[in-house]
Order: sequence, then structure tokens, then C-alpha cells
Amino acid sequence: MSGVQRDRSEAGTTDAPEAPDAAAPVLLDVGCLKVHLRLGHAVIRAVDGVDFQVRQGECVGIVGESGSGKSTLARGITRLMPNVKIAELSGNLRFEGRDILNMGDRELRTLRRGRGFSMIFQDPLGYLNPTQRVGRQIGEALSQDATTGSYESRVWALLDEVGLPDPKNIARRYPHELSGGMRQRVMIAIALASDPKLLFADEPTTALDATVQLQVLQTLHRLHRERNMAMAIITHDLGVVAELCDRVYVMHTGKVVESATTVELFENPQHPYSARLIDLSTRRISQEHRS
Amino acid sequence: MTAPVTAPILRLLGAEQVYTSRNANGPGWTTVRAVDSVDLDVNEGETLAIVGESGSGKSTLAKLMLMLNKPTAGKVQFRGTELGSLGRDRRQQFRREIQAVFQDPASSLNPRMTIERILGYIVRRHALCPAGETRAFLAAQLASVGLAPPEQYLERYPHQLSGGQQQRVAIARAMMLRPKIIIADEPLSSLDVSVQAQVLELMKTLHEATNVGFVVISHDLGAMQAIADRTAVMYRGRVVEIGPSIYTEPFHPYTKLLLDARLSLDPRRSRIRRLDTTLPRATPPEALKGGCRFRHRCADSVDICATREPTLRPVGPRGAQAACHRAEEVNAKASHAAGANAAGRAAI
Repeated sequence: MSGVQRDRSEAGTTDAPEAPDAAAPVLLDVGCLKVHLRLGHAVIRAVDGVDFQVRQGECVGIVGESGSGKSTLARGITRLMPNVKIAELSGNLRFEGRDILNMGDRELRTLRRGRGFSMIFQDPLGYLNPTQRVGRQIGEALSQDATTGSYESRVWALLDEVGLPDPKNIARRYPHELSGGMRQRVMIAIALASDPKLLFADEPTTALDATVQLQVLQTLHRLHRERNMAMAIITHDLGVVAELCDRVYVMHTGKVVESATTVELFENPQHPYSARLIDLSTRRISQEHRS
Repeated sequence: MTAPVTAPILRLLGAEQVYTSRNANGPGWTTVRAVDSVDLDVNEGETLAIVGESGSGKSTLAKLMLMLNKPTAGKVQFRGTELGSLGRDRRQQFRREIQAVFQDPASSLNPRMTIERILGYIVRRHALCPAGETRAFLAAQLASVGLAPPEQYLERYPHQLSGGQQQRVAIARAMMLRPKIIIADEPLSSLDVSVQAQVLELMKTLHEATNVGFVVISHDLGAMQAIADRTAVMYRGRVVEIGPSIYTEPFHPYTKLLLDARLSLDPRRSRIRRLDTTLPRATPPEALKGGCRFRHRCADSVDICATREPTLRPVGPRGAQAACHRAEEVNAKASHAAGANAAGRAAI
């Protein structure tokens, strides 16, 4: 992590989108994952036999409409499932070769806190503590073992890294004093505090204005590049996928119906559901002039 | 569609809405000018889109048009009469002719009533049909918004319907009174993209069948381009541009910024991965004393922008209006860029 004075410009290297590196080692390997939830007497097969992989340093998209199981998939993988009754949780779930499906809570926590995976959510206000200054909330998430720099300077460096101006000032604010885009950046800073190898982002920009959305996506992409951090982005917006992701999984009723590189998916969708999603999204902006 | 030359059904004249709230910590009051002297006409049978970022005053404008808020200054007129001074009969006429559809259909339908009771109340209140025929009348209404078989939906509660079905019920409720204008505040944003397409389609069908007009508030420029006859762009309480073709011929730099912020749906042309877009950052509102309210985010601002606030003026050949000192230059640059882009694509 560089210092507070680091150049924060979003424009870095101007490389064209490249094909995902097929030789990179697999970071996350999900095989036939089932997450069935119990709702009263009914069982909902929210995730029903999903195969899913993320390689080191790549950006993967998971798209689908509401109810397709994409968020449950991410929560199943990150094992963040409070307040739900699980009817069945089975399959193969490995992070760097370690079985995380049967991992104990203590071990999981270690994995989340140090060089494992982090997650950010659609609604930052719902996940930030309204009674604590944001600096403290970021500090709480810092990995314990790292020794570089003081606690405060590491918080400031993180705030700076996610593109917030005047980190020392922001660190002393409460969540309600920040705008939606700034809050989402604070969430990203918290997620980055454990220096993760994989970042899950569940609808990271859905609640944001279009201009702010573009800035936050740019920041995510810059972090992805600079830290060589793998990302899995869950979204209903094919635009986010087209802008950011190397590969994409299309989910429908709890199953992956198509998996392809982003270019392949957009140019030659194989599954009728993917084709329909792309058609609906592109038709609306068919006659426009893009700049 | 060209409406016959009649008085607009709704007219805003210098309408202004100021919200005042006591400061949370410390003494004093904070005022927010959510809508700041807006002039706007809504004609019968037209679809007017209102776009802008959150906080630009779109929803407050809708509340003013629906008589849910009283403007703190200026006038809102219904067929030439100010809303506040409408008599009893005229107010009933206003409520019949101007109807509303809201963003979240689940919270605008009473969860403890069946669809039949929700809609039946309005039928009785406005005496829309003879007493014995309510059920048949409601079934016909639901059928007209594409809910079939309607009898089945009448007995359900809102939570038993999907989001798209709930929004159809909300539209049916508005359509029952045969309104001239439906004011819809973000009617699409809680819906999936496939359902959005269906609701847009429904709005088009209803317009063709009954000539109902829509005032649609949205932040989704793609969807608005598909249905709008005219589009007004709002920025910090003001209409900064209004016209029939802002999507292809923007005159205001803010319109251009909004258009540029849309995500590409072509992974080969992704701008984020090429890292070739930089957007000016938002500035805090206190930096906006005097002059153009957009100038701090504007790439084209010059000296005059800091001293004189631009007002809406006619620009271009198609009846557009923009509040920018340099509208023509902005437009020329935008169309030049679009042209260069098209040429570039042809060359590839």
C-alpha cells in the first residue's frame, strides 16, 4: 500500500481488454454447490448445483434477474448466511485448495481477516455502523499480523486508495455524513483492509447515480489491476459485466445456464435466456450514439 | 405526436419548493431548494420524461404536479387554474385526470386488502360503474393491463403477486379513472430488465388505446429514450435542458455527462477496462454561490459561467431549450465526437 500522497488518478495504463489468463491458478473452485433454504414448510432451491471458478487475478461476472440465486450463491460461497434456515448445503467449495464448506467459524474468520476473501454489498448504509466513525470501522477490519505503519496511517492509506479526497477528514465522519458513492467507497476500503485475494461485490453500484456508478466501477477496476486482486461481481446489469468482467456466468432459477468469456457471451450467446437478456438490454439503447 | 394547440393540462410557472429542517446538531435551520423556479408545460397525450441524478428535484417536481406538496413560491396550474384555488368539483376533476404510479408497487398497495378491495374502493368513491357490476368492471380493468385471467388476480393479496404484476395493478388503478396524465415516479427501477420491457410496452399500448399522457420520472436514460416525446433534464432543482432529442443531440454539458456515464454493452468497446475515461468529481453544494450551478463539474466553463446564471433559451432547430451559455459549442462538440466515432467504427 502506498502513502497518502499517492497519485489518485483513475487513468493508468491504457491496455485493451485482454483474454483471461487461462494458465493462472484457480483461486476459488466451486463444484455442484447446492444451497437450499427452508421457508416455512417449503424448501427453496436457491442455488441448485452450480459449478463456478475464479482464477487468480481475474474478474468474473455473475448475472441474472432477481430470484435467480446469484446473491445466495455469493453468500453460500462466503458463508455469510445469517438469519436463514438452511435445508441443504452441499457440494465442493475450495479456496486455494482448502475446503471452506466444512470449515469451522474460527478458521473462516482467519481466512476473511487475512489474505482471503471479502465482500461488499449493494446498500452500504445497511452494513456500516451508524454510531461509529468510518475510520474506526475500517481499522477494525485491518489484518492483525501486518506491521507496516501505524493503525491510523493504514486507515488513511486505504481511504486514499479507494479514491476519497482528504482521508484524514473522512476517517472522522459518521456514515450518514457521507454521500452514497462515498459510503460505497468506505465499504470497499473495509473490504480491502484484510488485503483479500478475492473480492465479492454484490450489486456494488446498483444504488448509485450513473455518473457515480462509473467512478466506483473505475475504482474497482483500478484496484483489481493494481493489487492483482480477483473479483467476482454479482449484478443484474449487463453493462457492468461488459465494462468490467473477463468471464461471465449467467444464472437462472438457481442454475448456471451459460458460462463464457464476456466477448463470447455478447457476440454469440448460446442459451436462449442469455440471448434474451442481452437483447432486452441492448434494444433499449440501440439507436444511440456512443462516445 | 403533435398535440393540437390547446392550453397545457398542467403548467408550472416559476414553481419553487424549499424544504426546511432543524439542524441535527447545533442551532439553526437548513434550507434546501429542491425545486428552484421551474417553468414547465405538460400537454395532453404527450409522454414527458424527467431525468437527472438523485437529489436533482425530480420527485419533488412530481409531488408538486400531483398537489401532494404546495409550492413555496410560483404557481402550478391545472387547465389554467392554480391548484390551491380549485373548487370542489374542479379538484375532483383534477384527481380524475391526473393520476399517479409510484416506484415501489409493494408499498403503494395495501398489504391487508385483496386486489378487489383495493381497486373496488376507488370504483365506489368515484362511482365508476353501477353497484352490481363492480367485479366485472374490475376484471376488465385488470385484463386491459395484461393480467389474465383477471378473476384469479382479484382475490389475491399484493404479496402474492410478482413485482411486475404489482406494478400492473398500480397502473390499472391509475387507468381506471380514464386519466389524461399519469405521473409515474421511477415506475421501472424496482423491476427486472425483462419486466421493465413489458411495463414500457404496456405504457405504449395504453397510450395508443386511450391517448393517456405520461410524466415519467427516471434515472434510466435508455428506457426514457424508448418512450419519451420530450425529455427534461434536471440538475440541482433546475431544468437545464428540455427537448425532443436530447439523447442524440445534447446541448447542455450535464446532459452530455449523463449520456457519457451510461455503460457500454459491447465488451470490446469497454471504456473502464481501457481506462480512458475520466469524469470530473462532484463538488459540495457550498461551492455554488452565483453563476451557473453546473460550472464546477463542467469541462467547457468560461468566465461568464461564474458570474451569470444561464436561463433556458431556445437552441437548435427542433424546439429544444438549454440553460447554458455555450450550448451551441457543446452540441457541436458532441455531434463532432459522435460523427468521428461513427467514422472510426466504419473504418474498422
